[in-house]
Amino acid sequence: MAGQQLLMTFPVTATSHGLAEYRARGGYTVLEDALHTRTPQEITQAVTAAGLQGRGGALFPTGRKWAVVVPGDGQPHYLVANADEGEPGTFKDRWILENAPHLLLEGMLLSAYALEARHCFIYIRGEFDLPYRRVAAAVEEAYEAGWLGEHIGGTGFACDILVYRGAGAYVAGEASGLLSSLEGKKSYPRNRPPRLTVRGLYQRPTVVNNVESLSNVAGIVAHGAAAFRAVGTQKSPGTRLISVSGHINRPGVYEVELGFPWRKFLEEDCGGVLGGRPLKAVVPGGISSKVLTGAETETLRLSHEDLWSAGSTLGSGGMIVVAEGTCMVRLLQIMLRFYHHESCGQCTPCRDGTGWMHRIIDRIVAGDGRPEDIERLYYIAKYNDGTTICGLGDAAGFAASGMLDKFRDEFDYYIAHKRSRCEGRIE
Amino acid sequence: MTEILINGQPVQARPDQTVLEAALAAGFYVPYFCWHPRLSIAGNCRMCLVEVEGRGLDIACNMPVTAGMRVLTDSEEVKAHRKAILQFITLNHPVDCGICDKAGECRLQDYYYTYNGERSKSVEPKLRSSKHHGLSDRIVLDNERCILCLRCTRFTHEVSKSKSLGVERRADASNIRAVEDGSLDRDPYSDNIIDLCPVGALQSRSFLYKARIWYLEPTPSVCPGCERGCTVQIWHRKAEWRLKALDPRQNTCIARVTPLENPAVNGAWICNKGRDLARIFERARAEHPMLKGKAVALDEAVQAARALIVAARRPAALVSNWGSNEELAAFKRHLGEMFATFVKIDAAPEPGERIADELLIRPDKNPNTACARALFGDGPPILPEGSDLVLVWGEGCDFATLPRGARIIFLNCYLRPENGHADVFVPLSTQTERRGHYTNFEGTVSEFQPCFSKPDSVADAAVLFEALAAPVQARP
Repeated sequence: MAGQQLLMTFPVTATSHGLAEYRARGGYTVLEDALHTRTPQEITQAVTAAGLQGRGGALFPTGRKWAVVVPGDGQPHYLVANADEGEPGTFKDRWILENAPHLLLEGMLLSAYALEARHCFIYIRGEFDLPYRRVAAAVEEAYEAGWLGEHIGGTGFACDILVYRGAGAYVAGEASGLLSSLEGKKSYPRNRPPRLTVRGLYQRPTVVNNVESLSNVAGIVAHGAAAFRAVGTQKSPGTRLISVSGHINRPGVYEVELGFPWRKFLEEDCGGVLGGRPLKAVVPGGISSKVLTGAETETLRLSHEDLWSAGSTLGSGGMIVVAEGTCMVRLLQIMLRFYHHESCGQCTPCRDGTGWMHRIIDRIVAGDGRPEDIERLYYIAKYNDGTTICGLGDAAGFAASGMLDKFRDEFDYYIAHKRSRCEGRIE
Repeated sequence: MTEILINGQPVQARPDQTVLEAALAAGFYVPYFCWHPRLSIAGNCRMCLVEVEGRGLDIACNMPVTAGMRVLTDSEEVKAHRKAILQFITLNHPVDCGICDKAGECRLQDYYYTYNGERSKSVEPKLRSSKHHGLSDRIVLDNERCILCLRCTRFTHEVSKSKSLGVERRADASNIRAVEDGSLDRDPYSDNIIDLCPVGALQSRSFLYKARIWYLEPTPSVCPGCERGCTVQIWHRKAEWRLKALDPRQNTCIARVTPLENPAVNGAWICNKGRDLARIFERARAEHPMLKGKAVALDEAVQAARALIVAARRPAALVSNWGSNEELAAFKRHLGEMFATFVKIDAAPEPGERIADELLIRPDKNPNTACARALFGDGPPILPEGSDLVLVWGEGCDFATLPRGARIIFLNCYLRPENGHADVFVPLSTQTERRGHYTNFEGTVSEFQPCFSKPDSVADAAVLFEALAAPVQARP
């Protein structure tokens, strides 16, 4: 147990995701109570006061995002749950979608009430099969029980939720790309301004929140902002779902109270590095966050501010553990192949830069690297940073520059000797 | 007005302008590929990156002006990023300017010389892609040259509304493609995407490999294809590049037609019919005046026509709505009192041609009906009974419908069988050989200028009318 838990508060069984057991755990009482006794503004205030930060990776304060939407401005508002969890190493939303879909629905209904959104969408990753079936079944159950549709909880509040399946593009997980896809177009991200909360889906104010963020809303409304702030640290309240994968004895999804010591989490909760090897590196929050060496994780706590101070981020919570003996050159090759494959091709630096980086790293791995390739990779990373429409170009650059910063000697060795310093697979 | 600072100088901008528009209007050049004043903002080429003090870099085309913002359009940071963007754009762009039709008017070529000018940093082989993809019967696409600015797809979605182009696949494998087979063929405005393309990716089949553009020059003209009267530029060889070594027709052919931007009439667009003016003007020319099918000198034909006019008691005339304002006025001034005059509709829609739409195409397929009707009335061209002489000016008249026994003076530019049936036939100069004005259906007057000189044996209509009238006035 890595500190206090807010979401994983029940034993997962074959039926624990259903409406009956969710009701038995006190489900939808928060919604019913809020619809009768709270105003939409009170819910927004609670979320703002709780200091909830977006759990999708950007860590943008949810309350500040909501505050842009003007209640009663005479136009429709939309709420979209971003369940297009595509960041490599991340599979934490999947846990919610599979095991607590009603928690997401209740959080969405509360948020829709706060944002005056009549129509909500769940944009779910196309590759997710069981999560999709669970969420779709939960929506059906909720309609039958009267928690969706007209007159929810006997009030005038009405809300519909549509579950939409993506078609397998990583950029569709970016909020504006998601909306383009939801509108039926190619999932090209959009330029800001305008912000999506001003002109989003169908050119209307739209809030796009991560599944985990929305799942936290019910708890915040039920117990108050102060109770939420009591968990976690001053600057990053609450808990995070962390999905741990890689060279680790017990991979899986863990709920971690923010501020929990990192090393302790890896050793005690996750059972330590596979085969008892030393920890070489950790990708802390999906491959778009900068890699940290094993030594750096010694002193850090799992909180947003600690990771930021180390020059990285807890991002989407996709933690990839890398044991000693892993070739970082080939690891970077895998990452860059991913970015090249997933770049949408809309804007120049990312479209051409990701492919260029991929071809360079392929050449290095094939033993044809040149000493100036390192500078070339840094050059591409530098001019991808901040020049693209969405963050994919930046992220590809971070992945490359992060690896090069921390493991430069391995790249130099590979280029000079035309082979890896770390031979063989480690299993 | 909002005041912003560009490179330290105060600039007045409208609040609804973007920084790019404000900068261009104030004379600070910011380079761009994907932005176009008549299309939506795509913001994908990233070439117009500028620095806002305190906010870092962002694209100017999508940046609203805010009071007091301090924009730098050529700080070191901006220059370095522009250079890098050009590095990225040219990464897989085949620098085949030597065989590219766009060379000489290519944005990428200009910008690379201006803002980068160095060798590529890349040592990877360039990506290959399809070279001569037939996008439609009129347009071929070179995917290697394409920089995916999406001007063409936006044009078909926003202006021509055919929605016929889209992007296939992603990342650097993205390709522009017609959404279904032949969808671009059905777009009568498709050729505008050739001009919109900032590089040489979209090429006109009719212009492909025909000429280097630096041998050509444009002459402002007006499209006679319909009553819209779009202003166009007719491109032809520069006088100093008309070479004896070439076929004479190559020296005096219409190489291509492009729109001449004109907010009052056609904006920045023309339809495909306007691109094909060569089909109108380069039909076989009538170059020899004739008397009943026998070739004579121009003078002799004019004398014969004069004699017919003097002898006639009830002459009638069918004037051309392809005549310029000046020619129609000359007819009215010199011959109007003598002839019972009617306006003839020279051209009817061709089979399969789009009759009309909301953008440009108009139902009347003649350029100057408005002026002709203003001068000669809009009655139907039914000649009075007993007309003993008919002067037919221009095409579209079936001689069989003329009063039986009437003598015919026929004035026309092109080789037609009926030329020989007329009592007097005088060939006229075409629109590309003279200067004049057309009045479009909204009353807007546009000028066309001569591209070529006319053959000596053909007459300018305005001069001819004066010559035909002279003796009549002399002998009351």
